Amino acid sequence: MPSKSPEAMRSLIDREPPACHSSCRAIEPGDDAPDFTVTSADGIPRRLGDFRGSPVVLAFHGAYWDPARAEYVETYNRLVASLGGVAGARLLEIGGAGPWRDLTFDDAALSLPVLSAADADVARRYGIGDEPAVFVIDAEGVVRWSQVGAMSLANPVAIARAISAVAAPFVDAPNDEAAPRLAWTRRDFVATTLAAAFALALRPVEARADQVAVLAPRPALRAQRVTLSVNGRELALDLEPRVTLLDALREYAGLTGTKKGCDHGQCGACTVHIDGRRELSCMTFAVMQEGHRITTIEGLASGDRLHPMQQAFITHDGFQCGYCTSGQIMSAVAVLDESWGPGDDDVREAMSGNICRCGAYPGIVAAVQEVRRAQASNGGGQTR
Amino acid sequence: MIDFEYVRASDVDAALHAGAAPSTRFVAGGTNLIDLMKLNVERPTHLVDINDLGRRDPSLAAIAELPGGGLRLGALARMRDVAWDARLRERYPVVSQSLLLAASGQLRNMATIGGNVLQRTRCPYFRDTATPCNKREPGSGCSAIAGINRTEAVLGTSEHCIATYPGDLAVALIALGATVRVRGASGADRAVPFASLHVLPGAHPERETILRPGEMITAIDLPALAAARRSLYLKVRDRASYAFALASAAVAIDLRGRTIRDARVGLGGVATKPWRSAEAERALIGKPATEQTFRAAAEAALAGARPHRDNAFKVVLAKRTLVRALTEVSA
Repeated sequence: MPSKSPEAMRSLIDREPPACHSSCRAIEPGDDAPDFTVTSADGIPRRLGDFRGSPVVLAFHGAYWDPARAEYVETYNRLVASLGGVAGARLLEIGGAGPWRDLTFDDAALSLPVLSAADADVARRYGIGDEPAVFVIDAEGVVRWSQVGAMSLANPVAIARAISAVAAPFVDAPNDEAAPRLAWTRRDFVATTLAAAFALALRPVEARADQVAVLAPRPALRAQRVTLSVNGRELALDLEPRVTLLDALREYAGLTGTKKGCDHGQCGACTVHIDGRRELSCMTFAVMQEGHRITTIEGLASGDRLHPMQQAFITHDGFQCGYCTSGQIMSAVAVLDESWGPGDDDVREAMSGNICRCGAYPGIVAAVQEVRRAQASNGGGQTR
Repeated sequence: MIDFEYVRASDVDAALHAGAAPSTRFVAGGTNLIDLMKLNVERPTHLVDINDLGRRDPSLAAIAELPGGGLRLGALARMRDVAWDARLRERYPVVSQSLLLAASGQLRNMATIGGNVLQRTRCPYFRDTATPCNKREPGSGCSAIAGINRTEAVLGTSEHCIATYPGDLAVALIALGATVRVRGASGADRAVPFASLHVLPGAHPERETILRPGEMITAIDLPALAAARRSLYLKVRDRASYAFALASAAVAIDLRGRTIRDARVGLGGVATKPWRSAEAERALIGKPATEQTFRAAAEAALAGARPHRDNAFKVVLAKRTLVRALTEVSA
């Protein structure tokens, strides 16, 4: 990573801010972070460039920031706390006031400038308008992670992961010379638990091989042969025990019809049938499902002939974007084998574990009711 | 999620043996444990899958009659199967209703009775490892007391924890005076009154039950109880379905004419553990079943409430919930 000359730095600082607001291209990961100067409460002007050698988190809190509003203060406090906690360093002191917060760790320091809407000039340099935004800048002054345009500050855990990714030597560089200069050199950052999250945080900048160390492959130490019965076929997969049934279906078996929505059992997008009952594939490990009969949306139709519930969803416009639809349909098919009453309210209650953000609920209820009535007039035959 | 060793136990003895190792969790439905493992709140190094135990011993997943008129719910019985059981719906409607108003159809197909009563709080700070939490990390502090505490408890709190016990079933079970059957490494069952299963947070919010490491719930016994047939679970939440209670009431009542002979009152969504209100029961028994009586009972039930900044509404809501539940059940 070539360092910038003082002349180049000065030209960055002195450059006129672009005369535009959010229509400007926002600074993105991989871009050099535009320099700027702000004056902290102690009256000392400080440049972003002064913090080369340390990672910096830049938080624009936007026009809606009101320090009296508890949730913003809470978000900010959580951000500060998580930068100490998740990154693995012990937070000893939070000092400073005003726009800059200096975090002191037991072996490193970190500055966290929080800029208000009054710093519109700085915001323009970063190509953002009134909205909250967060940038994580590495020790070399390159933006490595950003979130722009959300209604609130970014999730502090995500920020902490991003800063860990730029600061912590959890990666094995090809050789020492190619490795980026790291402000923190704690070997004990290496934490299996966070490796997957780090990989995710790194992905957008992986292509910059000159700046980003290569992520060490994570050996699947405990992978074991797991045989799953899916849609009538036996699938032999090598899986770690911690692989959920959902991930096994999508990432290992290539059955991507089952969707990952929340991954925490709150949305129903991952619904499959296990031994004929609707269950959430994100809330069970694949290894726990050996010996059980799994049906996914791919197994519902008979060849080219759609399952009646699939056809009914089409007939009644039971979806818009379609992301929740496979879970809705799997749930709906199983609901008709449960003990619910015949009313629309019964259908709504029975289907309440499947969330549709497009709000296609009227069509979904109509689809379920059509299939239920057809079944009833056919003598209550099974739908599967 | 950290990596872990997975063992599938084939019988109770093997499960108890494996479960006695440190940092080991039993997993059955998995709907709470796996969620918390993804959040790194739970970090077991060993998981013992107990789903197959019912094969060796079907009673572990069954609903059976008890001598004297009660029912035994096997710990591995799924929420759905207990909820729709005709005996439960007739003799213990409050139990059936508490299950059907909990979680979603998918989750009820997975989650077990034993796991359900042991579910952890949904306090957002407990679930977020970036924030201090005495329950998750003893001594680190409570983020909820001065934080956003709309969903936290108003009864049974301490200066170390105000996290709400989130479940519904347990509220019905504590109202009915159920008994928990527990087995440990010794292999012998012990019977624990349901009211003794959960403990108040006090100075040790990380301790939630009296279960010892490696112990397993094998069954929950419902007593024969006249009032149970006339029982009701009323749950109030932010949306009509698929949400945790802001306030709930489990009530059972035995009327002679319009006079209350026996009454059971449980409260959910407002307390740090499943809550039975002896004060409310005392205010009901022997009194006429009138709105005035119900209001007095509700006042008694919430007399000890200690609200925080955002959750004072729960005191009012819980009283109204209880009054409405008592009105409906005695109508």
